[in-house]
Amino acid sequence: MAGIPLISMRNIVKRFPGVTANDQINLDLHSGQIHALLGENGSGKTTLMSILTGLYRPTEGFISVCGEEKKFASPRDAIDSGIGMVHQHFKLIESFTVAENIALSQSSNSFLLSQEEVVEDIEKLGEKYGMSVNPRSYVWQLSVGEKQRVEILRMLYRNSKVLILDEPTAVLTPQETKELFLNLRKMANDGCAVVFISHKLNEVLELADKITVLRAGKVAGCFDRNDTNRYGLIEMMIGRKISVAQSGTKGEALGETVLEIDDISALNDVGTLGLNGLSLKVRAGEIYGIAGVSGNGQRELAEVLAGLRPVKSGNIKFYGEEITGMSPKNMIERGISYVPEDRLGMGLVPSLNSCENVILKEYDKPKYSQGWWIKEQAAVAATKAIVEKFDVRMGSIFQPVKMMSGGNLQKLLLGREIASKPKLMIVLYPVRGLDIGAIESVHKLLLQLKEANTAIILVSEELEEIAELSDRVGVIFSGKILGEFLIKDLDMERVGSLMAGVVEDKGESV
Amino acid sequence: MRIKLQKSLAPNLVSQTLIPIVAILASLFFCAIFFVLTGRDPVEVYSAMFLGALGSEYGISETFVKMIPLALCGLGIAVAFRMHLWNIGAEGQFYMGACAATWIPLSFPNLPFMLMIPTMIIMGALGGGLWGLLAGWFKTKWQVDEIISTLMMNYIGILWVDFLVYGAWRDPNGKNFPLTAAFPQSAMLPTFGSLRVHYGIFFVLLIAAVLWIIFKKSKWGYETLVIGSNPVAARYAGINIKSNVLLTMFISGALCGIAGMVEVSVVVGKLQPGISPGYGYTAIIVAWLARLHPIAIIGVAFLFAIIHVGGFMLQTMGMPSATATMLQGAMLFFVVGSEILTKYEIKFTSSKEGEKNE
Amino acid sequence: MCMFSKWERVLLSCLLVGSLAVAGCGSGKKDTDKGGKTKVAFVHNGSINDGGWTNAHSNGRLALLKDNKNVEASYVENVGDGADAERVITQLASQGNKVIFATSFGYMDSMVNVAKKYPDTIFMHCSGYKTASNMGNYFGRIYQARYLTGMVAGKQTQSNIIGYVAAFPIPEVVRGIDAFTLGVKAVNPKAIVKVIWSNTWYDPAKEKQAALTLIDAGADVITQHQDTVGPQLAAEERGKWSIGYNMDMSKAAPKAVLTSAIWNWGPYYEKVIKEVQAGTWKSGAYWGSMKDNVVDIAPYGPMVPEATRTLVNQAKQDIISGKLNPFAGPIKDQDGKVRVEQGQIMSDADLLKIDWFVEGVDGYISK
Repeated sequence: MAGIPLISMRNIVKRFPGVTANDQINLDLHSGQIHALLGENGSGKTTLMSILTGLYRPTEGFISVCGEEKKFASPRDAIDSGIGMVHQHFKLIESFTVAENIALSQSSNSFLLSQEEVVEDIEKLGEKYGMSVNPRSYVWQLSVGEKQRVEILRMLYRNSKVLILDEPTAVLTPQETKELFLNLRKMANDGCAVVFISHKLNEVLELADKITVLRAGKVAGCFDRNDTNRYGLIEMMIGRKISVAQSGTKGEALGETVLEIDDISALNDVGTLGLNGLSLKVRAGEIYGIAGVSGNGQRELAEVLAGLRPVKSGNIKFYGEEITGMSPKNMIERGISYVPEDRLGMGLVPSLNSCENVILKEYDKPKYSQGWWIKEQAAVAATKAIVEKFDVRMGSIFQPVKMMSGGNLQKLLLGREIASKPKLMIVLYPVRGLDIGAIESVHKLLLQLKEANTAIILVSEELEEIAELSDRVGVIFSGKILGEFLIKDLDMERVGSLMAGVVEDKGESV
Repeated sequence: MRIKLQKSLAPNLVSQTLIPIVAILASLFFCAIFFVLTGRDPVEVYSAMFLGALGSEYGISETFVKMIPLALCGLGIAVAFRMHLWNIGAEGQFYMGACAATWIPLSFPNLPFMLMIPTMIIMGALGGGLWGLLAGWFKTKWQVDEIISTLMMNYIGILWVDFLVYGAWRDPNGKNFPLTAAFPQSAMLPTFGSLRVHYGIFFVLLIAAVLWIIFKKSKWGYETLVIGSNPVAARYAGINIKSNVLLTMFISGALCGIAGMVEVSVVVGKLQPGISPGYGYTAIIVAWLARLHPIAIIGVAFLFAIIHVGGFMLQTMGMPSATATMLQGAMLFFVVGSEILTKYEIKFTSSKEGEKNE
Repeated sequence: MCMFSKWERVLLSCLLVGSLAVAGCGSGKKDTDKGGKTKVAFVHNGSINDGGWTNAHSNGRLALLKDNKNVEASYVENVGDGADAERVITQLASQGNKVIFATSFGYMDSMVNVAKKYPDTIFMHCSGYKTASNMGNYFGRIYQARYLTGMVAGKQTQSNIIGYVAAFPIPEVVRGIDAFTLGVKAVNPKAIVKVIWSNTWYDPAKEKQAALTLIDAGADVITQHQDTVGPQLAAEERGKWSIGYNMDMSKAAPKAVLTSAIWNWGPYYEKVIKEVQAGTWKSGAYWGSMKDNVVDIAPYGPMVPEATRTLVNQAKQDIISGKLNPFAGPIKDQDGKVRVEQGQIMSDADLLKIDWFVEGVDGYISK
């Protein structure tokens, strides 16, 4: 596609005190093209897009729109130049209707807006791109996928020509993702330039026309879709080759049954059934992967096992012992370890230092305490050991952990849990928000734990991750395991439809 | 050039101790402007204030007398605040402690000193402690916000003392004035010589030292720290939050109750309305300014005592009684305001760089 | 305690050095007698601008300063009844004040303690009952003024319900309520006096609210025993009448205030200082009366009819001459029991510890 690019970013440099977030970046966006921006966390994707949307001013370099140099003094200028962005965290007002939210962003000069006109326009736009949302619904009534549609409609309503989407598929089911991709293609065909930020390689390869890879604030490479492949991209992202983790005894777990969950139900935070007749069994030395769209009972299951959530009915056996409804302390004492998704919200105490966090779950065991007192030296020694063994990087073990990066927090958290020699570990979304290097080491840790004969329940949204690590896979939907597969029988298409709640007629493994 | 606040990654000890001190000096300077504007010589005002509080054996003794209840209540409050349990009820717990302690000399006036004082201390701690525990129980049982319950219970505690001294406990020989009979000598904590400063100072030192060690080294100190910093993580770690709420509210109240016992036992020598001029409320500021550190609480309480004692000195110079209040307010304002400087550092940047539009 | 004093001296010297550095060789002058003037100090628990009790004492001080050029008078306000009182009184004594007046009941024991330590200073305590060789107590028979204002209220009321916002059930307050009610009854036997306790001395909002409650209960004249004009403002707002206390409150509520029972401390303070200066002062208990001009009623408001004025003025003359005593029998209590027989007069000792209401009071004293 030749001609003048719609957007041209030239030699963009952005320095923050102590960091150069963008270093001499060039990026051209053409109308009709879907351009993927790929890179690890911290590689500069978000900064670059913040410059394009007028949130930051570049330290050096310039942006031209249709060949004309522009200076964006505020996000408003960028919007007026036809640039729109859907952020990972939606910026919608929950108590307003869809139409009100969209009208709110209107940059027209008229003070009063005809509500009916807006509603009509939205309906027309929705029809055109196959994104139906009732403009009169309140935002809080919408599902996540619908909210995303509202965000996209808002950009289209403003006549944005450049559509930027930051990790749009993170919150969607496979079906929804497919729909989104179709719609984005339609928009490109109508002359828009679409920027798609992601770290999911297969999505990028499926959707994009052009791919720019960022690494450490610089452009590592820019390709046409057809000139590259999966492995090339990964190596470019992390700057080296990766070893694919392989479990030696995959699918042959022979250990005794550690956990037996029989038909349990539990309420979620909203007071409806978060778990609804869920059953599963896990054996020692086995990784049981739970696939599913988040919000289908994963957290509730983990919290029931950690003793944090009361069980309504059904029972849980741990090495044959009935443990239903026991306290968190009892669960910890039995060797059940829960690695929550929310590291700083639950797993660690942000304002305390590493030592204080390392003893969190075992502070009253003889290991770390004697009588009324904490054994400070034991805590420091244990922390040093974890830091060394799991390669946790930080300024000092006496600094509050909130200063650590996400990957190091996860390593510290996992390190603590592994050091407690658990018999069962349930781990939620362990690589969420981590870069590829950190993901790799987290996966290695899990596999080592499995070697040590621990039973592991791995909850993830990433099918690749589950397929790579698990011995068996269960698909969770609406608080229930809808289907189970041995890893060798794993059928990705079936998993996908089970995740969306579609049970096929074959009657097997449901 | 632009001035920019940037989150400081490693707050260091030096800035953490130096900044509050500078802030206090700044508040003194700030108030000095007012003195100048009203035609006073600030040097004269401050020297009168400090000499009044510290310039004589008597002044120092009186400053300690004032410091003791402030420090004891401040320590009690710190125990609860550390767990993010907002016990605003120190005043009521002070009164209930004073009240429970008074029951002993009124009912058993002939107990010997060695029996009288320990039982009074126990009763004082129980009186304040149970009053605090009640608010804790409301919280664990019905999720009643402790700020509301402890605040309301202050009024009940104070009125309860009124009820007793206007009624059942009124001194029969007191011409129907609202006072209990004066305590026998055996119910009075000893003082140092002819001065009013009394053995309550040892309570302050002992309790502060014990709390300091508990906060730093004990399992309970660790539990309350975790609960205070992240209650979700505390539950996750198997820490029993309910029993800790109850225990903490009891201990917090007990310390305030001991403050009340000390005050009636030696300073007032009987129970009467108005035994506390708001110690329980001022102590909240004391605990907060001291960042809940037990040793720092003693220092801040002493500083507040100086301002209070010296403040009355200023009145005899013809300054309004609000002067001391203004100084306290300015100190709070400056110290809390300066906290941003311990969390952030000031950076000077060129106007091109590091700007955020929005 | 030698250990303490040693430590204390170390601290003392450190702090002294520091303080003196700040002070720049501070001015440590100790002025006992400035040019032969007598130094006098006042200690108040309220603010001198409270428009009530403390204000009345403060006016007395100002009167003293105006009439006696050989006096230097200072004051300390807002001093609590607890630990603060003893220190403030001590500081005032150590600063060389010759006479110290303390105007809160709660200062009594503190003043007794300080009086022991400063035998050369004269201590005067208001509204208590303890004395020492260098400590006298003083108070006024405000109940005489209360009786007269009760007469005004009794004449004025149309609903025959009079509201009384009372502070605390201590003898001083109870005595005032009883005398007021006796005054009401003397001119209007059908009227009753409704009492609400506020449990405050100074809380304008709460006291106003209490007065509004009484008005809602049918009262058309409101009086009070606190140090604010809250109840007067309530009466003004609702178009009712009011009797002030402590000072002439007609400025705060010109349409409502019929008259006020007022304190007039100036003459007494002048008398005490003169005695001290002449060396004739003697310890004792003083209970000043209307005859001494310590208590009085304020000028009537324009709404008070001439007939009432004549009646009350006559009663005032009778009280001054001794012909009329508000607490002369027969007096019945709320239960109808005769407490003071016909022909008898209640003794000062009984008046000082009175804890019962006379017939005609609609209220309750908790015991």
